Amino acid sequence: MIARSQRERLLSAAIDVVAEKGYAATTVADLTKEAGISRTTFYEMFEDKEACFLAAYEAAVDVLTRRIATAFEAELGWPARVRAGLDALLSSLAAEPQLARLALVDVGSAGPAAQRRYRAALQRMTPFFDEGRDYAPNGRALPANTSRMAIGAVIGLIVDEIEEGRTERLPDLLPEVLFATYLPYLGPEAAAREVGESATPTKK
Amino acid sequence: MPPSSPAPTDPKDLGVLIEDEHLPAGRDDLLEPLAAHSQRERLLVAIAETTAEKGYGATTIADVCAAAGVSRATFYELFKDKDDCFHAAMELSLADAMGGIVAVYSPDKPWAKMVRDAAATFLELLASRPTFARMAMIEAPSAGGHSYELYASGKRVLQSLLERGRDDPMEEEAIPSSAARAALAAAESLIVGQILSGNTERLPELLPDVVYITTVPYLGQEEALRQAREAERERAAADS
Repeated sequence: MIARSQRERLLSAAIDVVAEKGYAATTVADLTKEAGISRTTFYEMFEDKEACFLAAYEAAVDVLTRRIATAFEAELGWPARVRAGLDALLSSLAAEPQLARLALVDVGSAGPAAQRRYRAALQRMTPFFDEGRDYAPNGRALPANTSRMAIGAVIGLIVDEIEEGRTERLPDLLPEVLFATYLPYLGPEAAAREVGESATPTKK
Repeated sequence: MPPSSPAPTDPKDLGVLIEDEHLPAGRDDLLEPLAAHSQRERLLVAIAETTAEKGYGATTIADVCAAAGVSRATFYELFKDKDDCFHAAMELSLADAMGGIVAVYSPDKPWAKMVRDAAATFLELLASRPTFARMAMIEAPSAGGHSYELYASGKRVLQSLLERGRDDPMEEEAIPSSAARAALAAAESLIVGQILSGNTERLPELLPDVVYITTVPYLGQEEALRQAREAERERAAADS
């Protein structure tokens, strides 16, 4: 990579170092060393370790959300759209295990500000899920928090997989993640049917 | 926890499940707020309150000692380190919480009724004890170590309770084995969001949502919506 800005180098260093050492054990010195920048430059850009971590986190979430949105928009009909979006999410996380760990696991132990960012990041997935309410025959009768709960289920399944050391195999989780997504909107029978249908056709 | 943990074939008493998980059994004499008589109890209350406020990672032993009005030397006579003290606080409160959950169990109660009662009890408990809510649902999961293990055990007990829904007539093979785990994660995420947004005391309002998401895999959509409405009616009746 040529001429990446010092800021970009620092953000990507933050992801790597925190993923390796954990947030608590990471020092500003670790970050400057990994990014190859001076301590002075670090403090010109960020007030402290937390500010740098939060910026790295934000950048990572932006990338993930854009990938989900692109895949989602390319399809027609909610079941296919959400399948494409979740597939993109799972393959992105599998391809970048450090980022996956940082975005979904380490963030919990990085203090209250990070926890708030994490919740906000989850909420950015709401539109992808809530389209299910319009698609579902029973949409209007569903609980107000249906999308929050569906997102919670999907993320919970993904986090368990990461904790079990199976980040690289996250794409295999697609059927379970899809079932958890369709379930609250469509009920178990229709959810199982949609998972079955989306597993077979048009897969390159 | 392993995704493939099998559903128990023999419906055990919840108390037995709790013993299997080596969780402390419920005790009625430990109702929160903990009676802060001894220095040990003062430290347990202090660590629960300090971590709830600052987060587990940022909490120091000095903070806990100051809040408890106990010397550092005394802290180290009673506890090995911060993790040890936090674990003790978590253990004590969880004993109480699990006691409440076990009390809703009876062998002849239908599964759906048990889920409604357990969800209502759990949400009421968290709402009435905001410090415990924060400790058990937010700090313990991210604290790692023994406290995380306690949290994970508590979750496995609730998961076993949900997995009994498979005994009810439904097309079981169509439901992934992760359904109970996913449903709990959904409810947990909703609860944690409510706590983080500062609305812990309003957690009981989430009852219909929690009942819906935990019963829908096993009972189907229509019946789960009915259970959610029934839970809401029971809550309104209990309030009046």
